[in-house]
Amino acid sequence: MKKTLLALAMSVSLAAPAVAVELDPALPDYEPISGVSGSLKSIGSDTLNNLMTLWAEGYLSHYPNVKIEIEGKGSSTAPPALIAGTAQFGPMSRPMKSNEEEKFEAKYGYKPTPVRSSVDALALFVHKDNPVGCLSMQQVDAIFSKTRNGGYPKDITTWGDVGVKGEWADSPISLYGRNSASGTYGYYKKVALFNGDYKDEVKEQPGSSTVVQGVASDKAGIGYSGVGYKTADVRTVSLKTSADGECFDANAENAYAGDYPISRFLYVYVNKNPNQALDPLRGEFIRYMVSRDGQSAVIKDGYYPIPNAIAQAELKSLGLK
Amino acid sequence: MSTNTETTSNHAEPKPGMNAASRRYTTDLTATGEPFLWGLGGALALGILLVVGFLVLIFWNGIATFWPKPIEVVTLNSGTVVAGEPTRDNVFKPGDGLLERLTEQDREIIDSNVGFAHRVLYRTGNYDLYNEDFRWVSDFEIAKVETPPGMYLFERQEWGVFIGRIAGLVLDGESRNLSDYDRAAIQEQQEAARERFEEIRHIERDEIGEVNYYMEQARLDLKRVALDHGRDSGEYRQAERETEQQITELQREYEQLAARAEAIKETDRRYRITLEEIGGEQKELPLSEIVRFYPANDLSPFGKAAVYFSRWGEFLTSEPREANTEGGVLPAIFGTVAMTLIMVVFVAPLGVITALYLREYAKQGRLVSIVRISVNNLAGVPSIVYGVFGLGFFAYTLGGGIDALFYPERLPSPTFGTGGILWASLTLALLTVPVVIVASEEALSAVPRSMREGSLACGASTWQTLRRVVLPRAMPGIMTGLILAMARGAGEVAPLMLVGVVKLAPELPVDGFFPYVHLERSFMHLGFHIFDVGFQSRNSEAGKPMVYVTTMLLLALIVLMNASAIYIRNRLKKRFAGSAF
Repeated sequence: MKKTLLALAMSVSLAAPAVAVELDPALPDYEPISGVSGSLKSIGSDTLNNLMTLWAEGYLSHYPNVKIEIEGKGSSTAPPALIAGTAQFGPMSRPMKSNEEEKFEAKYGYKPTPVRSSVDALALFVHKDNPVGCLSMQQVDAIFSKTRNGGYPKDITTWGDVGVKGEWADSPISLYGRNSASGTYGYYKKVALFNGDYKDEVKEQPGSSTVVQGVASDKAGIGYSGVGYKTADVRTVSLKTSADGECFDANAENAYAGDYPISRFLYVYVNKNPNQALDPLRGEFIRYMVSRDGQSAVIKDGYYPIPNAIAQAELKSLGLK
Repeated sequence: MSTNTETTSNHAEPKPGMNAASRRYTTDLTATGEPFLWGLGGALALGILLVVGFLVLIFWNGIATFWPKPIEVVTLNSGTVVAGEPTRDNVFKPGDGLLERLTEQDREIIDSNVGFAHRVLYRTGNYDLYNEDFRWVSDFEIAKVETPPGMYLFERQEWGVFIGRIAGLVLDGESRNLSDYDRAAIQEQQEAARERFEEIRHIERDEIGEVNYYMEQARLDLKRVALDHGRDSGEYRQAERETEQQITELQREYEQLAARAEAIKETDRRYRITLEEIGGEQKELPLSEIVRFYPANDLSPFGKAAVYFSRWGEFLTSEPREANTEGGVLPAIFGTVAMTLIMVVFVAPLGVITALYLREYAKQGRLVSIVRISVNNLAGVPSIVYGVFGLGFFAYTLGGGIDALFYPERLPSPTFGTGGILWASLTLALLTVPVVIVASEEALSAVPRSMREGSLACGASTWQTLRRVVLPRAMPGIMTGLILAMARGAGEVAPLMLVGVVKLAPELPVDGFFPYVHLERSFMHLGFHIFDVGFQSRNSEAGKPMVYVTTMLLLALIVLMNASAIYIRNRLKKRFAGSAF
């Protein structure tokens, strides 16, 4: 259903420069209930920082006197905050590691519950004038990693090494990445670097937007960041899984189908005791998050919404349905 | 003291005649100090140039941000039409692949420019339709550029700006003929819709907010009873009954308010506007969703000025929208000022008392020297270290203790046990206390010994001398130290990120509920706002102008706070100038 809709949307507006992402029409509207109040705090991913803020703004419009505070300094800050109880929500751009889950379990006796809130395609950004074509994941690995676990035969240091001709050929590739507290860093290391190590030359940036700004001002730059942070000064590189594979752009359709190799779910972790119902303050926030209103905020922030099937599954796993 | 310097300088200066003679005969320029003088002057000029350049950059970009720009409609060779505000332009070198696809004529033009082409960045808005807000258009793509009348820029409550035309209007549920409504009439309707929006917000936030607050309070009171007496006690059962009754009552009140808000919303839904982007795609939205709209190409200079000032008004007096990239910064202004003032309240007595003791009471010896050196060294500790200390000591240790003692019913959600404006102020007070101590000591030591001795000789005690003679004379100098501390504190961001500054905290630390001042709350800060909008927002291009405006505002705020402190200092100076012996 969704794919046909997306395809329809694509074909209608082929002439337009970019295509608006569509919501799953089956997603329910949010129905507010009465008597929700209290204060919430969210500590975690910087990738999800804006999205949490947008959700909070929407949630507050239904429950005006709920207090919500949002802090986003990296996914790794979420588990300690959830364990210490300083935050009720832990947005993370990667699933929790097993040792983080264990620490949580050691304190509470049960595991934290993840909610798949949206889909993010991690885009590889280059300067808008950069003519580079499609890259294979092995090439990406050889660009960013010193261990080259992907198996590319030689190190890639200039744009000429990936087939760019003319004056670009000799210019050395300048690398931009995220700092190690971010979930994006860990995810990219796992998927694009085949668990290898980053080169020392990668300029570690404090935020997703900073990566894009770095690439925008550096003609020879390349960097990875959430596709939502794209500006007019950069463009995304399409990717293929192997040297002779098919190229896929970073867009919603390819992310849903799993064709685009570096797309992921963005999670919001909650501390839910399996024997107790979730209190309405948090429960309604989650319900809002996966509703039509919440998911249109996802589009607003440049990510891709989840289909209704996932939304319902998440509500079920939290006992909200 | 001043007479003293004059005499010394008289001594140092050679007689005018001699000076002229030595100058005439010397060949070595360094002997007269001329190159040195030029060096000093040059350094000063460079410093001033840097500061002025920085200020001009900030002000130039900041002042122009809110000025409405025209909307250009660009028809491309491919037939596509783009409408947007031209934002900035640059020259670039088209790659070989791109050159091949161009026509002969275009290639010639580019060749004549030694291979460079020109392009303009248009802010196209309409993110919900295009999935992008900005678009580069190269000169060789363009067939024609126009600024047609009737192009509107709409600032929306959500989704950012919309650029396009008005295609339809529904008032009170009836579709109206657009030709009957000129711009002023639509504006009137929009303002009325905005008023409805504000009223809904008032009901939801203030009135329902109050009900919710009391409900929460009732729940917490009950929890408190449970903690004090246990869940099986008679007190708990009675409290439970009371709370239930109270909550039912509040619930009824809530339902009335919600019904009132819903009625206004119902009316609101009957007023809608249809917008059409340049490609013909339409979008209908409630009239109240439109914060501001203006026909960009038809505005008179007065109209532009009106838009400009109305944007400033919104910026200074409203809350942020759309994850801080739009709307105002009122909570951040409030947070910055409040934090700085609270910091001064802590740092002033602490610093001054320390300085008084060190200078007036302590026996000047090795120990005092060590203390003094340590204080000076404290000023050099990186500010983030203070942040870590603040988080560990104030928030977790002190705050955690306060929570366990006074707010057990709210646990596990912390009250004081997390970052808040109080802890942030205390952390900054620690950070700035060396400045105050050093400045106060200097000021105290500048008070002439003879005055102290005179006072003591008249039979005054040490304390009386300090209070009546020394402190008043030293006050202006102490104030200078405080001003420096304030300037440093207001501009500091790094430690605050650890101890209470957040991206979104719509609630001010002051409100109408007991105890009215809530120092445990997190707050927003202009410095952090700059960081957040500039480096964390999705659309960094759209955030850029906001960064300049916010920086300008932060600078203005610091200047204002310093200016008022200087004003107070000068008044003090005047007051005590007459009371000197």
